[in-house]
Amino acid sequence: MESLQHLMMGFSVALSLQNLLFATIGCILGTLIGVLPGLGPAAGTAILIPITFKLNPTPAIIMLAAIYYGAMYGGTITSVLINVPGEAASVVTCLDGYEMAKQGRAGPALGIAAIGSFIGGTVATFGLVLVALPLARFALKFGPPEYFALLCVGLSLVMGLAGKSLIRALLMGILGLLLSMVGVDPVEGAPRFTFGITPLLDGIGFVPVVMGFFGIGEILLNAEKAFTGIMTGGGKVTSFFPRRDEWPICITSILRGTGLGFFLGLIPGTNSAVASFMSYIIEKRVSKHPEKFGTGVIEGVAAPETANNAYANAALIPLFTLGLPGSPTIAILMGALIMNGLMPGPLLFKMHATFVWAVIASLYIGNVILLILNLPLVGWWAKLLKIPYQTLLVFILLFCIVGAYSLNNSIFDIGVMIVCRVLGYIFKKLDFPLAPAILTLILGPMMERSLRQSLSISQGDYSIFFTRPISLLFLIITAVILLTSAWQVLPAVVRQESKEAQV
Amino acid sequence: MSRLFRVVDCLLLLFGAFIVHLSLQLSYGAEFGPGPGFFSFWLGVLMIGLALIDIIGTLRQPQEPLPPGFIPDRDGIRRVLYIVGALVATLFLLKPLGWTLTIFCFSIFLLRTMGRQAWWLTLLLSLVSSFGTFHLFRQLQVFLPTGILGI
Repeated sequence: MESLQHLMMGFSVALSLQNLLFATIGCILGTLIGVLPGLGPAAGTAILIPITFKLNPTPAIIMLAAIYYGAMYGGTITSVLINVPGEAASVVTCLDGYEMAKQGRAGPALGIAAIGSFIGGTVATFGLVLVALPLARFALKFGPPEYFALLCVGLSLVMGLAGKSLIRALLMGILGLLLSMVGVDPVEGAPRFTFGITPLLDGIGFVPVVMGFFGIGEILLNAEKAFTGIMTGGGKVTSFFPRRDEWPICITSILRGTGLGFFLGLIPGTNSAVASFMSYIIEKRVSKHPEKFGTGVIEGVAAPETANNAYANAALIPLFTLGLPGSPTIAILMGALIMNGLMPGPLLFKMHATFVWAVIASLYIGNVILLILNLPLVGWWAKLLKIPYQTLLVFILLFCIVGAYSLNNSIFDIGVMIVCRVLGYIFKKLDFPLAPAILTLILGPMMERSLRQSLSISQGDYSIFFTRPISLLFLIITAVILLTSAWQVLPAVVRQESKEAQV
Repeated sequence: MSRLFRVVDCLLLLFGAFIVHLSLQLSYGAEFGPGPGFFSFWLGVLMIGLALIDIIGTLRQPQEPLPPGFIPDRDGIRRVLYIVGALVATLFLLKPLGWTLTIFCFSIFLLRTMGRQAWWLTLLLSLVSSFGTFHLFRQLQVFLPTGILGI
C-alpha cells in the first residue's frame, strides 16, 4: 500500500511536461539505436550519456532508462523486416519474425512483439514496485561487512557473463578492478598507478572506458566488413494484429515470457539475450507443433520479445535496491546515477525517494509511449535503414568523442577512450568478454571501500565477515557460485586427462 | 588460434607481474587491515595464476586454424586504420584547432574514405557534424574546445 502511495507521487513527477518530453525523446533515440544494426543497448546508452550531462538527475535517468528499453524494442524491427538483429536479444526473433515477414505477416509479428513487450515491461515494473521497498528496507540493515559480502556475490556472478571461457572472464574482471584502482587511494589518499600523470589522479573515467569498449569497439568490428549499402525490406507492413485463432496461444506465450524474463532479471550476471533464447526454447518444448518453429509461428516472436522486455525492467530491481548492476547496460545506468550524485542501493529509496519513484513511474509511461510510437511508426523506422552506415559511423564517433570529453572537459579522457577502443577491439576479436571488466570497474571501488571500512570497525579482525549472519550467508552464496563455476571448468580438464590416459 | 591466445595470456601474465611489482612499492598494510597496495597485489597474483592456467589449457588444445574472417581483408584493415588514425589525429588537433575545425576535417576525411558520397553531400554533412554539433551541445550546456582561432 505504501509502495502504491509512493508510486502515485512518482507519477505526479514523471507526468510533468518536461519528464514526459525526455521519456519520449529517450524512447525515440532508444528505438533508433535498436534499429541501427551494430549498436546494442549498452553501446547506445553509453554513447547518449553526454546528452544528459547537464540535465537534472530525474529527467536524465528517465531519459537514459527510456533509451535502454527503447533499444530493446528497436532491435525487433530490423529482425523482423530485414533479418538483421539490432541487438543480441533480438537474434532469436529473426527465426520466426523474418519468416512471418516473408509470408506477408510482418505487421502481426511487429504488433505482437510490441504488445508482448508492453505487457512484459509493465508487469515487471509492477513487480519492481512490490519488491523494491521491502528489499531496500532489508538492505538498510547492511553495514560495511554485509555490503562487502554482497559485492562478492555480485562479482562472483561475473561468471554468468563468462561467454566461452570462465578464466578469460575472470581475467577481464581483474582488469576492470585494476583500472578502478588508478587514482588516489580512498582511505589513505596515496596515489596509485598514476605514473606521475596528473589527470590520472582523478582515476580512469567510467564513460571513456565504456565508450571505448562498447561504442567504438563495435564500430571497428563493423568497419572491418564491407559496407553493403542500402538494405532492403523483407515484407510489407499492413495490419498489426494476429489472427483471432492466434490470440490464445499468444497470451499464454506472453505470460510465460513475462514470468521467465522477470525471474532472470532478478539474477545479476544474466542478460536479455539469455532471457529471449530461454523463452524461445521453452515455447518450442511446450508447443504441440515444435517442428513448425523457425517457419514463422507467432509464439516464436511473442515469447522472446516479451521475455527480453520483462527482463529489462526487472533488472532494475537489484540495481535500485542493492546497488548491484546485473548486466553491462545496467552497469552503464549505474554509472550515470553515480555521475549524477546518486548512489544506487537501499539508501536511494530513503534519501532520494521522489527521484527513484519518478523513474519507476516513468517505466510505465515509457512502455505506453513505446507502444504508441512503435505500432504506427514502424514504416518510418524501417526507412532509417536506408541511411548509409558510413554516414552514421561518423556521427556515432562524434558522439563518442563528445561523451568522453564533456564529462570533465578533458582531452586526456579522449585518449583513454582511444586506448580502450584498441584494447576492446583486440579483446573482442579474441573472444575475451568485455562485460566483466565494466562491472568490476564500477563495483571495484565500492568493494575496496567496504572491505577497508569493515576492517577499521573490527580493528583489523577478519572474522567480522564470518560472525555476522547476513555477511556469512552472502559469503557462502559466493563460495557456492565460485565452486559450481570452477566445477564446470575443472572436469573438462580432468576428462581430457582421463581420455588421454585411456588412449 | 590457441597460439594467439597464448601470446595474449603471456602479455596478461607480464602485466600481472608488473602490477605486483608496482603494488610492492605501495604499503601492503595499514593501521587496521589492508593498505593501498593490498588489493592490487593480490589481483596481480591472481592475474598471473589465471594467465598461467589459460596458457596450460591452450597447450593441451589441438592447434586450430583461425576462424574465417578473423583477419579482415585489405580493405577492412584500411578502414580500421583510417578510423584509428582519424581519432588519434583528432586527439592531438583538438586543442590547437578547436572542435569545429578539427571535426570538420575529421568528417570530410572519414566520409570520403569510408563512403563514396558526392562532394556537396560530404561538405554538407561535415558542416552539420562540426558547426552543428558545436552549437547543439552549447545549447545543452556542454562547451566544446575552441582553438587558436576561437572557433
